[in-house]
Amino acid sequence: MRILVAAAVLSGTTAVCAQSLDDLKNDGRNTDNILTYGMGYHQQRYSRLNQIDRKSVRRLVPVWSLSLDNNWGEQAQPIVYNGVMYVTNARHTVAIDVATGKQIWKHTLEWPPETPRVVCCGVSNKGAAIYNGRVYRTTLDAHVIALNAKDGKEVWKTKVAEWKDGVSLTLAPLIANGVLVIGNSGAEFGVRGFIDGIDPETGKRLWRRYTIPAPGEKGHETWPQGSNAWEVGGGSAWITGSYDPQLDLMYWGTGNPAPWASQSRPGDNLYTSSVLAMRPKTGEIVWHYQFTPNDAYDYDACWELINADLKIDGRDRKVLMQLNRNGFVYVLDRASGSLISARPYAKVNWANGVDPDTGRPLESDIAKSIRAGNPTEMWPSTRGGKNWMHASFNPQTGLLYAATLHEGRMYKHLETKPHVVGQRYMYIENLPLPRAAGEPIGHIDAINPLTGEKKWRVPLTDFQVWSATLSTAGGLVFTGKETGEFIALDAESGKQLWQFQTGSGINAMPVTYTHKGRQYVTVLSGIGGLYWNIAREQLQNVPQGGSVWTFALMPD
Amino acid sequence: MKALGAAFALSLASSAFAQGPQGVTLGAEIYARNCSACHGARMLDPQGAFDLRKFPRDQRERFVASVTKGKNQMPPWGDVLRPEEIEALWLYVTTGEPG
Repeated sequence: MRILVAAAVLSGTTAVCAQSLDDLKNDGRNTDNILTYGMGYHQQRYSRLNQIDRKSVRRLVPVWSLSLDNNWGEQAQPIVYNGVMYVTNARHTVAIDVATGKQIWKHTLEWPPETPRVVCCGVSNKGAAIYNGRVYRTTLDAHVIALNAKDGKEVWKTKVAEWKDGVSLTLAPLIANGVLVIGNSGAEFGVRGFIDGIDPETGKRLWRRYTIPAPGEKGHETWPQGSNAWEVGGGSAWITGSYDPQLDLMYWGTGNPAPWASQSRPGDNLYTSSVLAMRPKTGEIVWHYQFTPNDAYDYDACWELINADLKIDGRDRKVLMQLNRNGFVYVLDRASGSLISARPYAKVNWANGVDPDTGRPLESDIAKSIRAGNPTEMWPSTRGGKNWMHASFNPQTGLLYAATLHEGRMYKHLETKPHVVGQRYMYIENLPLPRAAGEPIGHIDAINPLTGEKKWRVPLTDFQVWSATLSTAGGLVFTGKETGEFIALDAESGKQLWQFQTGSGINAMPVTYTHKGRQYVTVLSGIGGLYWNIAREQLQNVPQGGSVWTFALMPD
Repeated sequence: MKALGAAFALSLASSAFAQGPQGVTLGAEIYARNCSACHGARMLDPQGAFDLRKFPRDQRERFVASVTKGKNQMPPWGDVLRPEEIEALWLYVTTGEPG
């Protein structure tokens, strides 16, 4: 970094204290900074910080809070660099002094009021990327923008797609091997999913990889021939991919095919509901693994694909782990894409298991009933055994920590009709099931990724948790509740050790970092997103309103 | 939807259509495509959205204004749905599933 700074001063550029690719690669080593989505390219959401631990956490107190002037909900993960925090929501990008909580600058976006029409599941933004003195983010109306990290001035703005066609962008960009990479949302509107590589310097697109191959491309044979099903087939990529710099492979999960009702698109429908291992420089697909072939259930595979090094049967394996929406926790070899294990972590009735040789799910009679168009009790529901709220992985315990869902629905495929650009393309009915009194609707779980077994689980009977978890070497798991409580659990037992009531609901991603040797924890509060859409009436006493909350230990 | 709207306009000619069973069917189709994701399949499961079964039957203008211009979390639909289609939606909301 010193060399870089010196070079910048010498050349008179504005790139003072610019963060290099090495900084991004080593994110986590310098605990003053959080430079990547997932707190490391591996997306483990784990920090080696341990000042705040099981014992000291009782002294954790808020040190500052800042309003984000936003009612659309807060889902983002903050980025922290050199004492400045960068926070996004659908409306604003804000730079904050981490020492004082004072706003340094704010950049506000305008998008047409009609735009939320093409956002399936709540207006949101999941965070920024930082590289070379610039802050990058996506916009609801399908643009990517670069801001000067110092003053928030716009450097470039690139239109990725036309929002009226059903495309929106909510994810945090990934900077991998010098390329800014993003993916789209919009499978519910019958768009053809894509992942774009963009030059971070100019905003110019370098490559586009559609997640559905065109005629003549490998994989197209998995779509009905002589129809346009592939052009309106979904497969969006709405969560930031992880990246292994040694293998130079990034891992992007892809979304459900469209329409959800599957009868008009027989075949596996590559590469929907899959993981793609790709080269960041070219967008080349090196390998793929499809979790749910011919997905008839909205079991998309977009969220965290966690990189870790595990010892399995005495062998060191570089693995990729995902708590997939379809109810199975997958462990893959991330160099080759071969399946190591796939075990249920939630109640599953659409499949009896995953064939270890072919890697394909063994669909059950329930799946047959759904495909025949019958109203069918389906577990997990279309919202999954887990949704986007990211898991963390603690390498000390070897466990995944996640908020999971315990929910079936009465699900039915409807007759499909031709696609209309910019409008919903789903054709299903999805109605609630009667519930037994006291039956949990979700859990906070500590999950063995290789067996799906829970070391512990915290049952949730009032509201589901739709917040990511953060794991620390202090033996803690942080997460937040829709009713506003920011909580810390004991990673060994799940026992709640601490909580603080924030001003709105929490559906975001906590982070931890240091400033001048002191450990801080930050989370955004601001109810919004899919679960608020679902449970707004029950959550009517949780007010809207975004804010940042930062905590540290009260001195002895 | 444009094609649908055009076909509708051609065959419409009078408001009698929008008030008849074909209007309910069209309303049901528009509802299933665009509205059911939030307001629930066949209005049965509104979850966090407005429960349209409880929409006051004497407030047609409020319904039309809300759909056209948007309301609270609901975006505007005036640039996508024609006035006749919004009328068909109102018919569906007030009379329920076509028989």
